[in-house]
Amino acid sequence: MMPFDPSALTLEMLVAALGLGVLILGLIVPHGSRHGLGWLSFFGLLGIMGVALSMWGDNRELLSGMYLLDNYALFWKITFMLSAALVILGCMRYVDSMGGQAEYYSMIIFATLGMMVMASAGDFITLYLGLELMTIAFIILVCFRKMEAKSVEAGMKYILLAGMSSAVLLYGLSLLYGLTGSVIILEVSRIIALQPVTPALVLAVVMLVAGLGFKISAVPFHMWTPDVYEGAPTPVTSFLAMGSKAASFAILLRLFIAGLPGIWENWTMVVAILAAVTIIFGNLVAIPQTNVKRLLAYSSIAQAGYILVGLVTATEAGIKGVMFYAFLYVFATVGAFTVATYFYHVTGSDELKDYAGLSQRSPLMAAVMLVAMLSMAGIPPLAGFVGKFYLFKTIVDGYLWLVFIGLIMSMVSVYYYLRVALVMYRDEPADPTPIKLPSPVAVTLIVAMVVTLVIGIYPGPLSEVVNEAAHTFFMH
Amino acid sequence: MLAISLTHYVVLSALLFSIGLFGVLTKRNAVAVLICIELMLNAVNINLVAFSKYVTPTDFIGQIFSIFVITVAAAEVGVGLAIIIAIYRNRLSVNLDDFDWLKW
Amino acid sequence: MLVEFALYHAWLVPLLPALAFGVIVFLTRPWPKLSAIVAVGSMAVACFFATLAAYGVFTNHEFVEKPLVYATRWFSLGLPGMPEVQIDVGVQLDPTSAMMLFMVSFIATFIFLYSIGYMEGDPGFSVFFSYLSLFGASMLLLVISSNLLQMFVAWGLVGLCSYLLIGFYSHKISAREAAKKAFVTCRVADFGLLLGLLALQIVFGTLNLTELSEKIAHFEEYTTFGMLTLIAVLVFIGPIGKSGQFPLHVWLPDAMEGPTPVSALIHAATMVVAGVYLVGRTLFLFHEVPSAMQLVAVTGGFTALFAATIAITQREIKRILAYSTVSQLGYMMLALGVGSLTASMFHLWTHAFFKALMFLGAGSVLHALHHKADVWEMGGLYKKMPITTWTFVIGGLAIAGIPPFAGFWSKDEILVATLSEGHYVLFAVGAFTAFLTAFYMWRMIFLAFFGEEKPENHPHESPWTMTVPLVVLAVGALGAGWVGTPWHNVWAEWIFFGHPHHGPVNYGAMLLSIVLAAAGIYLAYMLYLKDAKKKRARRLAEWFGPVYRMLYNKYYIDELYLWFNHALVDGTARLMYLFDIYVVDGIVNGIGGFAKLSGDGLRVFQSGRLQNYALIFFLGVLAVAVLMAFTGPSAASLVLGGVK
Repeated sequence: MMPFDPSALTLEMLVAALGLGVLILGLIVPHGSRHGLGWLSFFGLLGIMGVALSMWGDNRELLSGMYLLDNYALFWKITFMLSAALVILGCMRYVDSMGGQAEYYSMIIFATLGMMVMASAGDFITLYLGLELMTIAFIILVCFRKMEAKSVEAGMKYILLAGMSSAVLLYGLSLLYGLTGSVIILEVSRIIALQPVTPALVLAVVMLVAGLGFKISAVPFHMWTPDVYEGAPTPVTSFLAMGSKAASFAILLRLFIAGLPGIWENWTMVVAILAAVTIIFGNLVAIPQTNVKRLLAYSSIAQAGYILVGLVTATEAGIKGVMFYAFLYVFATVGAFTVATYFYHVTGSDELKDYAGLSQRSPLMAAVMLVAMLSMAGIPPLAGFVGKFYLFKTIVDGYLWLVFIGLIMSMVSVYYYLRVALVMYRDEPADPTPIKLPSPVAVTLIVAMVVTLVIGIYPGPLSEVVNEAAHTFFMH
Repeated sequence: MLAISLTHYVVLSALLFSIGLFGVLTKRNAVAVLICIELMLNAVNINLVAFSKYVTPTDFIGQIFSIFVITVAAAEVGVGLAIIIAIYRNRLSVNLDDFDWLKW
Repeated sequence: MLVEFALYHAWLVPLLPALAFGVIVFLTRPWPKLSAIVAVGSMAVACFFATLAAYGVFTNHEFVEKPLVYATRWFSLGLPGMPEVQIDVGVQLDPTSAMMLFMVSFIATFIFLYSIGYMEGDPGFSVFFSYLSLFGASMLLLVISSNLLQMFVAWGLVGLCSYLLIGFYSHKISAREAAKKAFVTCRVADFGLLLGLLALQIVFGTLNLTELSEKIAHFEEYTTFGMLTLIAVLVFIGPIGKSGQFPLHVWLPDAMEGPTPVSALIHAATMVVAGVYLVGRTLFLFHEVPSAMQLVAVTGGFTALFAATIAITQREIKRILAYSTVSQLGYMMLALGVGSLTASMFHLWTHAFFKALMFLGAGSVLHALHHKADVWEMGGLYKKMPITTWTFVIGGLAIAGIPPFAGFWSKDEILVATLSEGHYVLFAVGAFTAFLTAFYMWRMIFLAFFGEEKPENHPHESPWTMTVPLVVLAVGALGAGWVGTPWHNVWAEWIFFGHPHHGPVNYGAMLLSIVLAAAGIYLAYMLYLKDAKKKRARRLAEWFGPVYRMLYNKYYIDELYLWFNHALVDGTARLMYLFDIYVVDGIVNGIGGFAKLSGDGLRVFQSGRLQNYALIFFLGVLAVAVLMAFTGPSAASLVLGGVK
């Protein structure tokens, strides 16, 4: 056995140190200067991202496979840190008016740490720890506005349902352990390939699907999503929508494609059907929504369905599609939710009808919202189109019905996305005062919009990076 | 006298899981639901320890796993109780049926 | 050193104006002066690089045979069971593109400069310069494209800019209508081009110019002759629209509603020649299909004559120039059709100078006369506007084909090429058109600049930003043709298709074209200057009343299209409309209504009750378990077609 090399955990340790540092500094620094904590977290994360970039190409296993370091994990880690940094940048004003900066930023950082652990997890225990670290941090974040009934109600729903889903997931993991005698994913994979498929194994897989389906909000395990998304503070919602979901996809791929390829034939159809149901349900129920956050919640359910498509064939191309989509989805989500955050900050409303005439009040906000939504709907030349293309092209051969469902439902989704655009651009504002954007918010919005456009027009470089990352997935 | 085998443990754990599940679905008090979730987690722990004893008697992976589960569950209960207190202050109730402001 | 840099970084040339566009739109829009400086500065720097790159190309004869190509992968798409589609974006530098690169950036620089004076005080000053910059970027991108798809993107972008700039005075209904007309006409043509490109991609699996030229040379390995003919014709539809060839020329004269610098830059010197350029770039395709070459030649020849006859009777100064542009574009197409890339590009080159010059001169006149456009209401402008007049005269001599001005050499080259390929009818058409060209151009010049002054006009010479470009372009109009004299034809050694053409000097053709040009000018002199009352001109118009009216109304082509639209298209459309609102809309609304209803219905599950959620969660687990039990590797998955 190789001696344990602590330098392999540089990123995780740095993020943990940053989170603790922010928490402690929050106790020390006076009230007036706590807004600096946001900048500290932002630049801290950017710095750690720089370190992460320098670790590209470092592929190895720690502790006989308990912790996997590869480009795949690193790509996800960078994605998480990037989304955390963007969320922090976009919501500083909002947090300053809410108070509790230290706790807030450190919770975001700890959630990021949990996600990073998940991305590298090579065994069930690490997986569980990362998952719970992320979930508990998110629970705290969801009910951060503890004086507000909706926020606390959302937290309540989240903790009880998440606890239950963890129990289910754990039960499945314990069964897998019992059947194989190992908790290390790669070893489990080897042993399962040799065994016949028993009902207990099927039950274990069902429970894994349910437990992780809850995290990615796949129908029918999605019920918590709209309520929690609506009740949570908006920046938290946005981080929940991209970070938590992306991390769960990272671990879902690891668990199913690296851990259960031996019984691929048993779960692939279930995943395909779940994807179809999720796409259909998310898009249909989004139509009658009147609250922007709720609308985005249902749209994010539908998006999870699209991403799930990449899992169906369990190939490198599918993994690539998932990673590509998750990455670009970060920017679309940051764009849409940052607009919602700042709009709430200014007007105190999340209702769609109050967005009337936003294009006159703040052209940038309206434009970013439009670009983000069109990208989610998959309209070329925006990033979402390329992402959907990469996902669906993996299943053209064999799952044509799923492709059709995806396409038809994309069309349906245009209806509600464009309804938002219509309200923003056609209607006259009730209150025509222009909205002035503070520069951090403006920067976040512009970054989100530009990246969405650039990836859409020139997907080559990102596609190559993702290829490289997906390639290392099968190296262990 | 009947020898106690792995099957007994697994059945016990399945029963405990189901009881916990039933509680989650039927109890109206938030604290009770939280405790029922703990029951489900304990069912998992029984599973893990039993498998550790019978499947991999030489190493203690299952036991270690269950210690982690217990620890995390404690943290979760801590947060859960805090939320229940916060929501009680807000709405003067811990009845889950009262919490339906967020819907549709 | 610097030349090397410019050669290998030619993409900087389109990038600079593109950056200027971004800078003006996002940053400097509130400050018109600054915006103008940004636009002109970036174009000037781009021109500097383009000049260096052109210098690099024209000092190294290797590039004639082997173009300098560098590209980067834009995207590649692979679907299972289909060949991988790979699209590059890149730069292809050979003498043709280097010439265009230099010409476009050079003329654009001076027209940008000119616009500062012309657009002064316009409320949309900054916006105008941002559009101009975007146009410059797109046009330069089109020129250096190594790939037909990239070219098509740029092609679409220049169309967009043209639309924006024609409709720049959006308060005028006519400008808006003209912009729409230009856009729609060009889109119709683009559709053909797009189909052609798709067919090329499907048949040959690539759109890279160099690869295509190699593959098409032995097209028998890939496709049939009929398919190749179809592709060539489809591709040619694009240039018909963009370069204003008959019958899609109708948008170009109306495009004169735009500000004059736009007419000069886009609708005379650069964008409209994009079609000619495209055909020149894909000449290897047309070359394989003699009938397509015939089509190109006849279209070009007919357009040249057709537009020249219309130009004789027009009264608005810019309209006359527009029809002359259409006619000259016809010449270029004619040259391509007879297989002479040399002559076509040569005429493109000289035409860019003298036509830009004449448009700018016309703009100067309009500026001075407060947009009074009828040449019959002008007269005697030479006293007050000497620079404009004399530069305009140089342009007139050049287009009429009087040696040693530029137009003479290039027109002569086209006529000789036509003759040596044995197209006697087309030669006659070309020669007669040359006569007409000299006549209508000098009719305009005599009417507008000479003769008696009109007392109601108060002309004045334009500011230096406008006259400097005139003088520079006049020098070009004088000397641009000297690179291609029949005695020492440098041009033909660099720009050719196949192998360089070295014929004997055809003194007969030369003499004929001089005589025809002189005859045209003399006729115009007799009718419009000598005869101060213009009695003879009027009598002629009366004698040939019907002909005159037909020409003045542009052969009623617009009316024909209008009738066609009203009678046929609208009729069919009405029928389709009924089908649409009752059948298609019914289906669509039905689906929409269904989606909405089911959305409302499914929403009910979201009751807000936590324990309902938990229940649904466990029902979901159950459902998945059942599903998993029944969709093992055998059962339902086969029905749904998933697992193989």
